[in-house]
Amino acid sequence: MLNKLLATVKKEILLLLRDKVGLSVLFLMPVALILVMTLIQDSAFKSINEKGIPVVFVDHDNDSLSHQIKQGLLSTDLCYVSDSIDGKPASSESALKAVSEGKFLIGIVIPKGATASIRKNVSAMVSETLNGTDSLQKQTDSVEIVILIDPVAKKSFLNAVTSNLREFISEIKTKIMFQTFSEQISEVIPDKQNTPGNAYQQSQIIRYKEIFASTATEQIVPNAVQHNVPAWTIFAMFFIAIPLSNSILKEKTEGSVFRLHTMPTPYLLLINGKILVYVLVCLIQFLLMLAVGKFLLPQMGLPALVLGNSMMGIFILTLATSFAATGFGVTVGTLATTDHQAAIMGSLSILLLSALGGIWVPSYVMPEVMRNISAFSPLNWSLEGFYKLFLRGGGVADILPYAIKLMGFFFAMMGISYLANHKKRTV
Amino acid sequence: MSNPVIIEIENLTKTFKNATEPAVNGISFSINRNEIFGLLGPNGAGKTTTISILCGLFPATGGKVLIDGKDLHTELASVKNMIGIVPQDIALYPTLTARENLAFYGSMYGLHGKDLNEKIETWLQKLSLIDASNRRVSTYSGGMKRRVNLIAGVLHNPAILFLDEPTVGVDVHSRNVIIQHLKEINAAGTTIIYTSHHMEEAQNFCTRVSIIDHGNILTEGTPAELISRNAGSTNLEHVFLNLTNRKLRD
Repeated sequence: MLNKLLATVKKEILLLLRDKVGLSVLFLMPVALILVMTLIQDSAFKSINEKGIPVVFVDHDNDSLSHQIKQGLLSTDLCYVSDSIDGKPASSESALKAVSEGKFLIGIVIPKGATASIRKNVSAMVSETLNGTDSLQKQTDSVEIVILIDPVAKKSFLNAVTSNLREFISEIKTKIMFQTFSEQISEVIPDKQNTPGNAYQQSQIIRYKEIFASTATEQIVPNAVQHNVPAWTIFAMFFIAIPLSNSILKEKTEGSVFRLHTMPTPYLLLINGKILVYVLVCLIQFLLMLAVGKFLLPQMGLPALVLGNSMMGIFILTLATSFAATGFGVTVGTLATTDHQAAIMGSLSILLLSALGGIWVPSYVMPEVMRNISAFSPLNWSLEGFYKLFLRGGGVADILPYAIKLMGFFFAMMGISYLANHKKRTV
Repeated sequence: MSNPVIIEIENLTKTFKNATEPAVNGISFSINRNEIFGLLGPNGAGKTTTISILCGLFPATGGKVLIDGKDLHTELASVKNMIGIVPQDIALYPTLTARENLAFYGSMYGLHGKDLNEKIETWLQKLSLIDASNRRVSTYSGGMKRRVNLIAGVLHNPAILFLDEPTVGVDVHSRNVIIQHLKEINAAGTTIIYTSHHMEEAQNFCTRVSIIDHGNILTEGTPAELISRNAGSTNLEHVFLNLTNRKLRD
């Protein structure tokens, strides 16, 4: 029986090696996908975090408010702030035109006298507080800061900028308030060093510290590489269903299956030979993709893939994913009656399962209904497992539930294939 | 002394799902050891269905088949070791070489190592394929493919060989080579069950024939007996046309 299995494995390897197009789909397609998707997403990532969202700043105020806002925006990684357009100082009109042409995603126009107006309002409030008068009702204009938005700008970008803007304005308002109080109090208390205004300048009441909740010994920063390498590798591993189902169908259409069914060899052994070879292909795919993430992507200016702490976890999860993918291919090959049908059935179902599984869009941004459905995709089980290993520093125990589910999926697929094959032969 | 009958078929019936009529309608016949038995009939007569059942490809709806005393239904695995099949379609992997195809199929019949390699070598020599043996089958002519298809069915020296139109679509030279080697295989002790549309070939090749139509056996005997039994017939083709009503079949 072992000789028969080895002969089947040898035959499958030869068939695979002779199919240059199939091989390129298996190995070049995932490399291309990882490169393209990572570069695209990394670029989008950079537009927020590194280079920043392009913002044009029009300063008609030229006082504390506009200076503070501009300094605040410049000090964050969020924006790339420019106060000129094509070498000329930005005006309200030129800013509107530049944003509408997509040269900037967002424009901020600070009106003339904005700072003075805030001071006037704050002063009125302080006076009211200290004197107990009702001067607030006499308060005049509120300050209107104009935000120009490119319609293609993502809402998340806009929210990020406007929330920062509000924060800066609130800070400035508080500062002016403190200064006004300080000036008023300094008239009563001569020691200027201890005035509230200076205390505000010197203290920071609340500080923030960002820590990624990972148990990895190595500092793992979530980035496009950490997400895309496992995601597209899983996608490619499941894409193996197409050449595998084609291989099964070719045997049907080329007549080999007629001879195979009449030979003293169980059909399951022939299928097992295929499974072994394609599982091996999946493992090679995975190693290749890891090499791309680890060595090729850094050459292209991208971060290197960080593998986490558990090599055994990676091996178990990869093996389980490989079995799940090949099991799926066997089912497609068994259910389809033509190679055309297998190609359509295979590719569409993988696209659907990958979309549901969070390969294209992370499942955490999906609506709740879709998130619940996502939990049924084997690609999602695998991806969540790799997130545990690559991003959260998990080990074997953490990925075991996912590996068990993937193996369960493999056995379910084999069961369906067996029943379908049995039904087809009971003519 | 072993039973002279190697295949006994009794009331064999096959009705496919959703079919209104049976493809094989309760046929009974027996085939003797070392015969070349021709199962002849027009398209849709039930030849391939009968052979497919005998090879264990799918089960019969009814009836009993004994192969060398073994019940086909209950001892299929054991029966499969005794048979070889040369299907009508070329059942080979086009991207593999002849040698690689034969090594795979031979292994599936339990051959391996030196024995397998020697048998492959011998057959490639016999059927004049040795020079092309390391070329992919997809590059072969129709006749060459037929010859490799034949070797794949006989490499393991089966006791019974099923041939479903083994010479269809091949040139005269390849046909002669194939028939000559089939006779040699038969002379070495293999019982042959053969189907064909080629009546002249059947007349010269078979020791006994059975003409089947609409799933029923119409007549049975040696080619000479059938010709003499049908007045006015001078060859098997005349007998065949008379019995099957000369109508076109799809």
